[in-house]
Amino acid sequence: MTSGPLFHEQTARQRIAALADTGSFAELLPPPERLTSPYLVQLGIPVSFDDGLVIGRAKIGGKKVYLAAQVGQFVGGAVGEIHGAKLTGLFKAAARDRVPCVLIIESGGVRLHEGSAGEIAIAETMRAIFECRAKKVPTIAVIATDIGAYGGMGILSTCCDFRVMTEHGRLGISGPIVIEKWMGKKAYDSSNRALVWKTSGGKTKYLLGDADALVHDGADAVRDAVAKLLGKSSPVSLKGVKERQKELEKRLKRFGDTADPDAVWKGMGVRNIEAASLASGPEFAALAKRGK
Amino acid sequence: MKKPTSKKPSARAVLARLFGASAKGIAMEKSVLTGYATVGGAGVCVIGTCDGTYIDNAAALRLAAHVIDCVEHHPKTPIVMLVDSAGQEPNRVAEMLGLASYFGHLLSCLELARRKGHKLITVATGQAIGGAFICYGMFGDRIYALESASVGLMPIEAMSAVTKIPVPVLQKLSKTLPSLEFGAKPFALLGGVQEVWSAKDDVQAKLAKAIANSSTEDNRAELGKKRGGRKLALDVRKRVLASSLR
Amino acid sequence: MEKFAKAFPSKPLPSKTAKPWALAGVVGSGNLEVLLERGGRPSGTMECHVETSIPGYKASWLAALADFAHHYPAGGTKVTINDQGAPPVLVNLRLRQAYDHLTKGDK
Repeated sequence: MTSGPLFHEQTARQRIAALADTGSFAELLPPPERLTSPYLVQLGIPVSFDDGLVIGRAKIGGKKVYLAAQVGQFVGGAVGEIHGAKLTGLFKAAARDRVPCVLIIESGGVRLHEGSAGEIAIAETMRAIFECRAKKVPTIAVIATDIGAYGGMGILSTCCDFRVMTEHGRLGISGPIVIEKWMGKKAYDSSNRALVWKTSGGKTKYLLGDADALVHDGADAVRDAVAKLLGKSSPVSLKGVKERQKELEKRLKRFGDTADPDAVWKGMGVRNIEAASLASGPEFAALAKRGK
Repeated sequence: MKKPTSKKPSARAVLARLFGASAKGIAMEKSVLTGYATVGGAGVCVIGTCDGTYIDNAAALRLAAHVIDCVEHHPKTPIVMLVDSAGQEPNRVAEMLGLASYFGHLLSCLELARRKGHKLITVATGQAIGGAFICYGMFGDRIYALESASVGLMPIEAMSAVTKIPVPVLQKLSKTLPSLEFGAKPFALLGGVQEVWSAKDDVQAKLAKAIANSSTEDNRAELGKKRGGRKLALDVRKRVLASSLR
Repeated sequence: MEKFAKAFPSKPLPSKTAKPWALAGVVGSGNLEVLLERGGRPSGTMECHVETSIPGYKASWLAALADFAHHYPAGGTKVTINDQGAPPVLVNLRLRQAYDHLTKGDK
């Protein structure tokens, strides 16, 4: 166990300060620039000086990175026009300068109050992420809170080379409340926390191979995992996508008719469900690896 | 969120309009389109959705498989992506199995195709909404829409239901903020659609021209600024790029 | 939304600060962000701009800001606040946090 504050309880700015080498973070378009949303103002909703996204240059373990964190408390970390343009710009800068880009995601997706502008911004950012990948510039998404990465941001996270998650992190597209409304409480009771967590939580994502690291809920552990991935990249290749196609086909065939998440855990080699549920992120990762 | 009941041309009619007789080479299975056709005498690969279907894990895999087939067996053949989907499937099992990753895989396949010289042209033919548009259509080199297509994040009524902002307030604001308006034309004002094709247009000729003029340079922010629908995005991006150099 | 601005007399800020600006808090339900900037302003006043989602509390805002300007040497600074219904005790805490960040750095 590492000491220090829990990563999921920190604010976006605290997370950045905790991941970056001391004093290395230089914010781009910082709060005094006052880039606030013209949409929210006209709707009578409070604005924020960073529009819910903190971006900048930093070093992690002595290595140059571009680093960003979404502010989940501000309109659910959702992506509006300015927020999205900052995101696109940062990944474009990363591709241009061949500097890895680390994004701490905490977002429900597109900011509905700004309509389609945020949706287009997410699509533009995806293009920029793949620009990085084509140049073998690592792109890393960190997902560590229950606001998680949902909607367009969930999809965007899967475009990055790597995803680092904690057991608190959740990754998906439609959130539990939306699905409950759609399918009924019988099919998905959004108040059943264990079920929600086993549907979209870090442990299940790690087991299935959609998260590349599952770490303790602390800045040190997240930073170590990110630092390990900074030297790696996974450019898109024909061989790679063919393997992934097979893997995803197999997953769907094995579990497509399975409503029970425990069956998925068992199918992926977890023998003692209760022990695995109680295990911390890294303990769980070790158990999963050994098939216990 | 009901599927619209208004009279729309059948999926086959839309395909015939776009690809003429060659549309017979496009298979339609559970509202997922895959196949090969011709545009202006040249072969194209076609992937897409119809009938406003919801895209699930299986649909994403079928689309991805066809893109891989095209890359392997039809080098540099342009890929035309048709979009008529109301969104991703809101389903717990789909989420548990990682629907986002299935979409990410489809996007990766399309990226591979782009890098290998395939042009990617999107035509929004029906509904092009939310996650269903993000997971392949919005990833095209150039994106077009039929005038009748429903393009955008969501209709104002749905936006109002979620944000609790009254419909009249959103409607009034949408007059000056086209981002809030729903439809192909406002989406084009934002730069999200290159051009809207009307009922009178010869869409086969338009599609041939679109393929010929395609570019892998993402021009949406420039268009959005030029057309006045998305005034800030390009400048904010440029400021990030300029300030990160210093 | 309610918006207002006022300058309050305050002793000059120390001539050396850790940074030119500091931010405390986040905009979220029951919370606020305070941006504190130095430079280019009369050294005997603290200039305040408030935007709040809860109208009708101007008097208590002005009292809280006047109190802060009285107790801390913040002359020559500009305070800008985005508020989403923070309780008064939190307003005070964020002002102090922003002031500490500005004068002493982030530690």
